[in-house]
Amino acid sequence: MDTMRIQVTRTGGFAGIVRHAELDTAERTDAPHVHALAREAVAGGLRAPSYGVPDGFHYEITVDGRTVYCADPKLTDSQRELVSLVLREGA
Amino acid sequence: MTAAVPICAIVPPYVLDRLAEAGHEAAVHSLALDAAHRAARLSPPPPTGGAPGLNRVISDADHSQRLPGRTVRTEGRPAVSDASVNHAYDGLGATFALYADAFGRHSIDDHDLRLDATVHYGRKYDNAFWNGHQMVFGDGDGEIFGDFTACIDVIGHELTHGVTQFTAGLDYQDQPGALNESVSDVFGSLVKQYALHQGAADADWLIGAGLLAPGIQGVALRSMKAPGTAYDDPRLGKDPQPAHMRDYVHTAEDNGGVHINSGIPNHAFYLLATALGGSAWERAGRIWYDALTGRTLPADADFTAFARATVAAAKARYPGRSSIADTVTASWAQVGISPG
Repeated sequence: MDTMRIQVTRTGGFAGIVRHAELDTAERTDAPHVHALAREAVAGGLRAPSYGVPDGFHYEITVDGRTVYCADPKLTDSQRELVSLVLREGA
Repeated sequence: MTAAVPICAIVPPYVLDRLAEAGHEAAVHSLALDAAHRAARLSPPPPTGGAPGLNRVISDADHSQRLPGRTVRTEGRPAVSDASVNHAYDGLGATFALYADAFGRHSIDDHDLRLDATVHYGRKYDNAFWNGHQMVFGDGDGEIFGDFTACIDVIGHELTHGVTQFTAGLDYQDQPGALNESVSDVFGSLVKQYALHQGAADADWLIGAGLLAPGIQGVALRSMKAPGTAYDDPRLGKDPQPAHMRDYVHTAEDNGGVHINSGIPNHAFYLLATALGGSAWERAGRIWYDALTGRTLPADADFTAFARATVAAAKARYPGRSSIADTVTASWAQVGISPG
């Protein structure tokens, strides 16, 4: 696949403020790296939202229509890198 | 022991001035509080050693997300050059002091649990949380949030999640989840009021005052006095908290809106504390603490069950003074909850 559409929704946290961002890898020179990250992140995710910890962030990661869930502080390294990339550079 | 704690100094006074000119009542309160903070800074530095049973360990994650990180300050050691470390240390001490002095509680678990905290968690990490064993603080991104160690009410809030975990164990979703959040806001605010020697009438009743970065239109994250009025900003949106059951928000997000609907029990506590007057931790706080720790509250308690527990706690704590229990009932009624 040449491009990927990655969406991240972050909920919870002390402030309880929702953040949503979306990234399309079409124009990115680092697309192969991001694709690998996204595949690993999805592979390590849960199919249903988890409880997490009070005030911890909850993440919903959708890659090309497939959605998985994870929650702080139990993110894999790829999930951590992916959600911070998408929330930082996504639209 | 009451630690003289450093309290949020992130929002510059001019921002508060501007908000105050624009008619934000909370900003006016915050300005008054700020003046109190500046006066407090003139008092001599607090002793660095703690009360009996107080044992703090502060670690630095050095911007990784690995816990606990390297130890940077332990109990009784002098302040270090990193302000976040000292703020965390002092905030843990202030929280310990409220629970010990006002309620006779020996640390978070009532068995002298060592208080561990990690600062500089992650990069520009916009959060603080209790992970079941310790406190974790991010630095904030500097655009929306500042350093999460800067507010003692935030520290008190997070450690209270630990107290709830060791006592009522309220489920972290829907109404019991909103109660879990509200209890953390209540005792977080009381930690600040106790440290500042404030009566219920003088407190700002804000959660996270000073946590928002300069330029954000808001005075705090939540207001117990006026839920829904803490911020209104293009980037953050508007504070969504209701103050009454008729405005209860039904949502699947945020574990069923635990940070939203907490506004309702928060406001009931504010109404009770200000109706009773004096120091909020003495009677209103005592009643809430008794309800939380009385072993009768189920983990899935809804608002009405919690309200009933507070009325029962008031009757048990203040026999022969039925006006106090009546005031508890009236406070819940004002937010649309009938303890029945």
